[in-house]
Amino acid sequence: MTRSGQEQLVASQNRDGGWGAQQGRASSTEVTALATLALGRLDTPASRASATRGLRWLAARQHDDGAWPVSARVDHASWATALAVLALDGLGREPVHAVRGARWLVRRTPRTLGVAVSLLHRYAPGTLAVRLNPDLKGWAWTADAASFVEPTCYALLALKRVRRHLPGAAVTGRIDEAERMVYDRMCRDGGWNYGNSTVLEAELWPYADVTALALLALAEHREREANQQSLRALRGMLHEVDSGLSLAWATLCFAAYGQDLTPWRARLVERYARTAFLGETKAVALALLALSGGAEVLRA
Amino acid sequence: MSLGRRAFLGGALAAGAASAGHGCTDAPRWERSAVRQPSRSRVAILPAAAYDGGLVEVVLRGLRLFELPLAGKRIVLKPNFVEHDPKGVVNTHPALVAAAIEAFRRAGARQVVVAEGPGHYRDTEHLLTATGLHAVLREHRTRYVDLNNDDVRALRVGSHYTGLGHLYLPETLLEADLLVSMPKLKTHHWAGVTLSLKNMFGCIPGAVYGWPKNVLHWAGIHQSIVDINSTLPVPRFAIVDGIVGMEGNGPIQGDARRCGALVFGDDPVAVDATAARLMTIDPRQIRYLAQAGRFLGNVAEERIDQAGEPIDRLRQDFRVLPMFRALKSFA
Repeated sequence: MTRSGQEQLVASQNRDGGWGAQQGRASSTEVTALATLALGRLDTPASRASATRGLRWLAARQHDDGAWPVSARVDHASWATALAVLALDGLGREPVHAVRGARWLVRRTPRTLGVAVSLLHRYAPGTLAVRLNPDLKGWAWTADAASFVEPTCYALLALKRVRRHLPGAAVTGRIDEAERMVYDRMCRDGGWNYGNSTVLEAELWPYADVTALALLALAEHREREANQQSLRALRGMLHEVDSGLSLAWATLCFAAYGQDLTPWRARLVERYARTAFLGETKAVALALLALSGGAEVLRA
Repeated sequence: MSLGRRAFLGGALAAGAASAGHGCTDAPRWERSAVRQPSRSRVAILPAAAYDGGLVEVVLRGLRLFELPLAGKRIVLKPNFVEHDPKGVVNTHPALVAAAIEAFRRAGARQVVVAEGPGHYRDTEHLLTATGLHAVLREHRTRYVDLNNDDVRALRVGSHYTGLGHLYLPETLLEADLLVSMPKLKTHHWAGVTLSLKNMFGCIPGAVYGWPKNVLHWAGIHQSIVDINSTLPVPRFAIVDGIVGMEGNGPIQGDARRCGALVFGDDPVAVDATAARLMTIDPRQIRYLAQAGRFLGNVAEERIDQAGEPIDRLRQDFRVLPMFRALKSFA
């Protein structure tokens, strides 16, 4: 699928140089970053030219404060900044932009749940409907919102990649706290839901794509029992889940954990042949990354 | 401590949910242009025992009762697809979506599109294929639009319960001639019930607002439901999947409850009020319905003309979490 996926990505690039979630949609930072990263690692003239245009789109859209917007149509500073940082750093291009984006991430803090909830968590945790430590800060999807697993993991991956350019306790402190936040949200039997592990005493189930992403963000701690338990949980989930997005994230995750990728790559290729991932540009980009050894650009 | 107490705190925590300072107070908080309340509303409850066989005719019968001008129109069906739980009844049944596609086409619609923006799942391919919706879309050659990632336009909010000045909404919805909300008949652990108005949370693009549209939870779930519905500028219709609903800890982890009904109507507030009554839940006690009933549609039973089956014949006593006992107070 590397060739057909690459052709699909090149063909679906917008005239402004970015990519949307599907062909014909307005360019977004998230999809442009991933498509640029995937194509920039492939060694063909078409993919290189396409990636260069994607890089230009990213460089031109960065705000003065370092953040990237949601999309060409929504100019709000966005969680996708972390993905733009990853793309620029992963391709070794525009390092000034990447570092500026990373600094914005360090400054960006989520909304907290307040002193009352914090005190209750400490002294009467059984009164809370949701099991989580409200004092641990990661990253939120948007301004004025609370920490969530997925944007936190993107920020962790980005900051770990560029921390060599960002000396100082602030970066290390944010990474350490965010890692603790992610572990805190882990489901009881391993893996991660999009949000919390327990609500109103009911255990929530983990999602394959979020679990693979969280494991990638925590890959430096691969020997920990929580990581190993979640790795097993992910394998279990993949008995049921067979989508391009989840298989691509899982393959990238297994690569970071030194697992045999042969069966996962085969499933990705087979799935693409069957569904073309329903035309989701992001899934195609992640699959290309997974098939071309792209886990290395997500590693700390 | 009781679950009721927990629920209060849970509202502040789950998915970052919290009641905002912009509460549902008595002063009008809507623009004049947002007022859509008719003097009277019409809602139909039609019996449907199962998801196999005859559903297209039931949906067609429901549509005809409202004499909708459908010829040549572009219809967007917005079912409720949240998560895939092979053992659960979380989502609008794909068979009902199939029946609605077919019924709207037979009624003369030029185009029928299915659109959803799941609040939790980002893995759309998995959600569509695992739930069976993708097979329906393929069989009926129907386009699906992921509202989480659609192109968007900013619109001024029609009411001011959240304090948000504008909302980004998907172009696919804004270009529709008729937006059909197709929720599952469910109780909801934060909002009380989730029906055609709450289903509009799925119109909010996750790429802008995150998953589960967390900013809106901070602004208040009830307040957000009202503001979203007052802002959507397209004509609306609702078809509630009450063949099998969900009671207890909905919208995801509740239990299946058979009700054997579809609820139809062109006033989504009246549809939701009727659907709540079908669950033996007092709609006046649902905060967002009480507010929507002031300017978006009718909640009061005496202002709703009910067609089809008498409500008492199909009413079921849906179980609610202890913190929502007050919703049963009229029963």
